[in-house]
Amino acid sequence: MVHKKDIRILAFESSCDETSTSVVKNGREVESLIVATQIKSHQRFGGVVPEVASRHHIEVITQITKEALSEAKVTWNDIDAIAVTYGPGLVGALLIGVSAAKAASMATGIPLIGVDHIMGHIMAAQLKEEITYPALALQVSGGHTEIVLLKDPTHFEIVGDTRDDAAGEAYDKIGRVLGVNYPAGKTIDEWAHQGKDTFDFPRAMIKEEDYDFSFSGLKSAFINTYHHAEQINQKLNKYDLAASFQAAVIDVLATKTIRAIKQYQPQTFIMGGGVAANHGLRDRMNQEIKNLPQNMRLKVILPELKLCGDNAAMIGAAAYNLYQEGKFADLTLDADASLELPYASEMLQ
Amino acid sequence: MKILSMSTATNNLSVALNDGAKIITEKNEFDQRNHSGHLDPLIDEILKENDLSLAEIDRFAVAIGPGSYTGLRIGVTTVKMFASILHKDVAGISTLQALAASCAEKDTLIVAGIDARNDNYFAGAYVNKEDDLGPECVIPDGHYHIDTLLSAVAEYCANNNLENVIYVGTGFEKQKEAIKKTNIPFSFGTEKQNVVHGGLIGKLTLNAQPDDPDQLLPNYLRRTQAEIDWHKKTGEAYKPDSNYVEEV
Repeated sequence: MVHKKDIRILAFESSCDETSTSVVKNGREVESLIVATQIKSHQRFGGVVPEVASRHHIEVITQITKEALSEAKVTWNDIDAIAVTYGPGLVGALLIGVSAAKAASMATGIPLIGVDHIMGHIMAAQLKEEITYPALALQVSGGHTEIVLLKDPTHFEIVGDTRDDAAGEAYDKIGRVLGVNYPAGKTIDEWAHQGKDTFDFPRAMIKEEDYDFSFSGLKSAFINTYHHAEQINQKLNKYDLAASFQAAVIDVLATKTIRAIKQYQPQTFIMGGGVAANHGLRDRMNQEIKNLPQNMRLKVILPELKLCGDNAAMIGAAAYNLYQEGKFADLTLDADASLELPYASEMLQ
Repeated sequence: MKILSMSTATNNLSVALNDGAKIITEKNEFDQRNHSGHLDPLIDEILKENDLSLAEIDRFAVAIGPGSYTGLRIGVTTVKMFASILHKDVAGISTLQALAASCAEKDTLIVAGIDARNDNYFAGAYVNKEDDLGPECVIPDGHYHIDTLLSAVAEYCANNNLENVIYVGTGFEKQKEAIKKTNIPFSFGTEKQNVVHGGLIGKLTLNAQPDDPDQLLPNYLRRTQAEIDWHKKTGEAYKPDSNYVEEV
């Protein structure tokens, strides 16, 4: 029997307010994961301040690199590739990871792989279970709301996208109105479970044929309802407000995703991104998929909760697939703040 | 001692290889706005031309600030990682000291500055001493309005009987009228002197204490606007950055 050599990747992620490093074996096994979060810092400002984020990233970058290696009980000699998120994200923040990964590659001679952050989020699923292709992913976070078709482990196409706010962004904005500290998703999710959908907020674009989303109108409807009540000294039930908001978000996400599953008939359904940790959304998607006709049943992979947010392990997982196809970067690799997965041809018409 | 030094603090990307005080090679890309894509290839080029590997470098040096915040972080992150992985010395050198080091004049106040817009400058003033340790700082690096800077210059010159000032760096020529009012003879740096040179950073690092790569951070000289606004609004004290970042 030929012994297949293990492939170990050291990955960096610094696209927003988490600085993270990880050693991932064979794209499936997390041997170490270090996440330094700056949430406490940005809570002072009510949201992520890019310059502050960049300053924090550089403070920890060398330490967490050493920690990722030592926690995995490996040295640079055991590493086959160095991977880094090069976009999308905050450019100054991305540049810390990119500069660090390139310097590490130069200092060690280990090849470099640039990874799309969104591809990384989706590949958090690969750390839980093997993905059967084609697959369909619902990617929902503070920066993105997309339905992505995975033709194979490295060829992804966007089939639906938000036209304005990302779902997670809408959570943070209505959270601010309710006095919930950023990031608001977790608290709103908890409140939603204690309330009822009594406000009947708009479900934007739910009937449109395409797979696009819009959450800006919902956010405005919520804020108007809240402020109007305030003006007439009426106290609204925050649990019902949260439940109504969350129901509107989830209704649209679930309806459009199920419709996309019916059209594309993937073998696997994946969720990724910070909002993939939302219990309401996870339960609803599981339920909807159970209700699909027998011949459309598919594998469902919802990543572990701690791998839904930004982390380097997911970057290591995605990088393994790129490694297998020899897709390496060189020293000219640069941060690309507005990097996008390609859009499916039908979306470009 | 082989020193690899670089500056990504300003539009001029500069990388140099020194053997002790001797500059073996220095490469500059003037008006370069993409340091991230160009720094590593430039380092690679210098190493290859000199048949060296990074592991053969004894010390890494970098312009630590002031300068473009994003630019500084590219250079500082790069040398932090080099030094941390290869277990080599690393030293951060003031961008302004490196600018001043391009002027050899003695008995002259060398005002080094970087235009920070709206008549503000990241600036400091230096004098060359008899020794060869590089220019000594006499007005500390800081963020100054031009009027504040010029009164500090005038005061220093009066107290130390200096009758010649050189303004080196960026954005000083537009202050010519204001500078004239100090009534001290002055000149501006040449085009070559007005950019930060990697080779001079390498020279200055010979007399600098090496830093711990984990602790080496850009010297921004200014808090972020968000923090300044937060401090004003809440009256809360600034805490060390380590209070805000935690491993989870």
